[in-house]
Amino acid sequence: MQRTGLFIERAGFLQRLNPLTKVTGALLLIGATFLLPAPLTGAALLGGALLPLALASLVARRFLDILLKTLLPVLISLALVQGLFFPTADPMTIPVGPLLFRRAGLQFALDTGSRLLVVAGAPLLLFQTTHPGMLVQALIQSGMPRSIGYILLVALQLIPAISERAVGVAEAQRARGLETEGNVVQRIRGVLPLVSPLIVGALVEAEERAMAIEARAFNAPGPKTWVRDIPDPPAERLARIVMLAALGAIVAGRVVMVFD
Amino acid sequence: MDDASPPYAPIVLRHVTFTYAGASEPALRDVTLTVPAGQICAVIGRAGAGKSTLCALCAGFVPHFFRGRLDGDAVVDGLPIATHPIAELVRHVALVGSNAFSQISGARFTVYDEVAFGLENLGVPRAEMIERVEWALQALGIDHLRDRSPYALSGGQQQRMVIAAALAMRPPVLALDEPTSQLDPPAMAELADVLRALSRQGITILIAEHRLEWVAEVAERVVALDRGAVLADGAPADVLTDPRLCERRIGWPRPTQMAARARAEGRWAPDRPLPITVADLAAGWRAAAQDGAPRSAAVQSRSEAHDSRGATSAAEPIVSLEDVHFTYPTGVEALRGVSLTVRRGERIALVGRNGAGKSTLVRHLNGLLRPSRGRALVGGVDTRTTTVARCARHVGIVFQDVRNQLFARTVRDEIRFGPRNLGFSPEKVSALTEAAIDALDLRDVVDEHPYDLPPARRRLVAIAAVLAMDTPLLALDEPTAGLDNASIDALMRLIDDLAARRRSVLVVSHDLDFCYEALDRVVLMRDGRIALDGRFADLDCAQMEALTSEVGLPIALRLRCAGI
Repeated sequence: MQRTGLFIERAGFLQRLNPLTKVTGALLLIGATFLLPAPLTGAALLGGALLPLALASLVARRFLDILLKTLLPVLISLALVQGLFFPTADPMTIPVGPLLFRRAGLQFALDTGSRLLVVAGAPLLLFQTTHPGMLVQALIQSGMPRSIGYILLVALQLIPAISERAVGVAEAQRARGLETEGNVVQRIRGVLPLVSPLIVGALVEAEERAMAIEARAFNAPGPKTWVRDIPDPPAERLARIVMLAALGAIVAGRVVMVFD
Repeated sequence: MDDASPPYAPIVLRHVTFTYAGASEPALRDVTLTVPAGQICAVIGRAGAGKSTLCALCAGFVPHFFRGRLDGDAVVDGLPIATHPIAELVRHVALVGSNAFSQISGARFTVYDEVAFGLENLGVPRAEMIERVEWALQALGIDHLRDRSPYALSGGQQQRMVIAAALAMRPPVLALDEPTSQLDPPAMAELADVLRALSRQGITILIAEHRLEWVAEVAERVVALDRGAVLADGAPADVLTDPRLCERRIGWPRPTQMAARARAEGRWAPDRPLPITVADLAAGWRAAAQDGAPRSAAVQSRSEAHDSRGATSAAEPIVSLEDVHFTYPTGVEALRGVSLTVRRGERIALVGRNGAGKSTLVRHLNGLLRPSRGRALVGGVDTRTTTVARCARHVGIVFQDVRNQLFARTVRDEIRFGPRNLGFSPEKVSALTEAAIDALDLRDVVDEHPYDLPPARRRLVAIAAVLAMDTPLLALDEPTAGLDNASIDALMRLIDDLAARRRSVLVVSHDLDFCYEALDRVVLMRDGRIALDGRFADLDCAQMEALTSEVGLPIALRLRCAGI
């Protein structure tokens, strides 16, 4: 039973980094892909940064698999719509079978599409190489409220727990002769016995869980400690500063360009 | 005088009365209790007697989490409960609730991290934290599960994990609410050892518990509660043999009951005190044998009491599984060739370790799961060719987690649901509903919401709701978990009554004593196969050994094995 989201346990490059470094890197990539003015920025960052990182972290196959499965329909429609109907003065066209694609439109689709891939790919790679527990711990250690961290983690584990419970409820009610297949009337009659144990169960559990974490000293005053150490070598701290500075420089450059 | 000063008492309650907000009756009435350091004090009583409230009070959850009116003084480890928040009390007392699943924090992804969670919150330095977590994992025997997800454990494993998580916090006071409800006999014995070791280290332990045999083994003192008030308080040997326990339907431990029966029949010396443990019972019987008392029939099982062998062998089958194999989509092969026939009037115990295939087998009894290979016939029809709802006319199943089942606004509506689904006439639905209400002693709560009842009675509602479907076979998954003796008695009477009306019962349970007393045929599962199928009365030594190594033996058979 996996309850750790997208995380894939491998001993690769990104897995060894501090989660904060990876978060900063992802932010820099997303910022750069939108703010750098050059054409094909997205494609360059995808090929020059994300893919090599995915390879070095031993998750490249799963990375591409998820990224393309999610975005391929968007990319295809982008290419079709923009390629065929992009409003442009540029007369250059590229014939593909019976269709005439406008060059500027394809250029725009490629530009936007590769940016989309980076915007989705950077967080995907972050989550594939970072255990959610470690990510939340690192965020809390750098100042995020513990209660918010708790909510993030519980949500991650609760959704699979609720779907398991739904199976149990369906079993219990079918065993009591509830017909869950069949016509609309039968199905509507089946909603209440299937849904209400789930809701009542979730409410009762929420109270019990609140009690349980109180009993585990969640609200105890005083400094907290962590059983797992997240290494944060000086080199990584420096790298984060550099990346933030780069992001700041890109933003500043962009602002100056706008006002020029 | 110096030596007259009493030993330090971490739990001091003086005239404590507590009424939950909105309740008309107090849950605790004028309770006065002083527990000295290092004592293991068990609190017993019927469902709703106030045991859980007492545990919650000692940890400050009453009145800080569950609001209400608290009168009297409650002081735990020197801190008055009323004026100290839970966040502060938690360094002095740890509480483990009865439902292990909902005690899991949800914030940690492995058993190891889950056990460490409380220590992180207390700010324990890492080196000490690691040492304590390792110790707690070892102590509860879950070291091998350290990297598993807390949600991927069985109920018994989860229960051990949440106890380990509390122990790791090393509180001076430990309050455990029904810690054995999901444990099998070997795990119960291990827990008893751990608690004894903790008590020797000076940790004060308060346990609310229904299983009186286990209480007799582990407790140094027993407090019996009745409707919120202290009924008896003293040494286990005195309290657990107190006749008032039977009058108030709390009951006695099984060895005590057996000896009392023997005494009534002249097989137990009248001057010999009643035993509370199996060892004392065995010793008493040996002594009686030496005195020349009649030896035979020291203990009788139901199967000996009323022989149903001839009656059932020719009876029509309700369910037959023919060489059933079942593999889950995950690739786990849960059944590897199971053949089992359940006939009219049979009382079957299905036993085995966690993961042996019991739950998978039960789901084949009504078509919830269909064989990957082999055949399952329910009422003569192959489950592959019919629906679960149709199988439900022949087999009713009550699953262990009753929360998945209960949804109606009143107990009566809940019980009506099943028979109505089966399309019975309104008169028949009413008659079956009322009969089920009476069979499980629920008349006083028919108009209440099932969730407003204590967990034990909620389970009885779930059983009544399936009983009312009037199926030839009733299958019950862990029906005695969390039940008090009075409810277990009601369940035994129900099973007897069903058998008398040629209806069959199949019980999945870790509670071997209940199985032995209420049922006659025992089916042991191991690794997806049936390792043993026979009648309790006919088991030979090899079969008893097989049973012992997998799930333990009922007290009566242990005595028989010991030659008594």
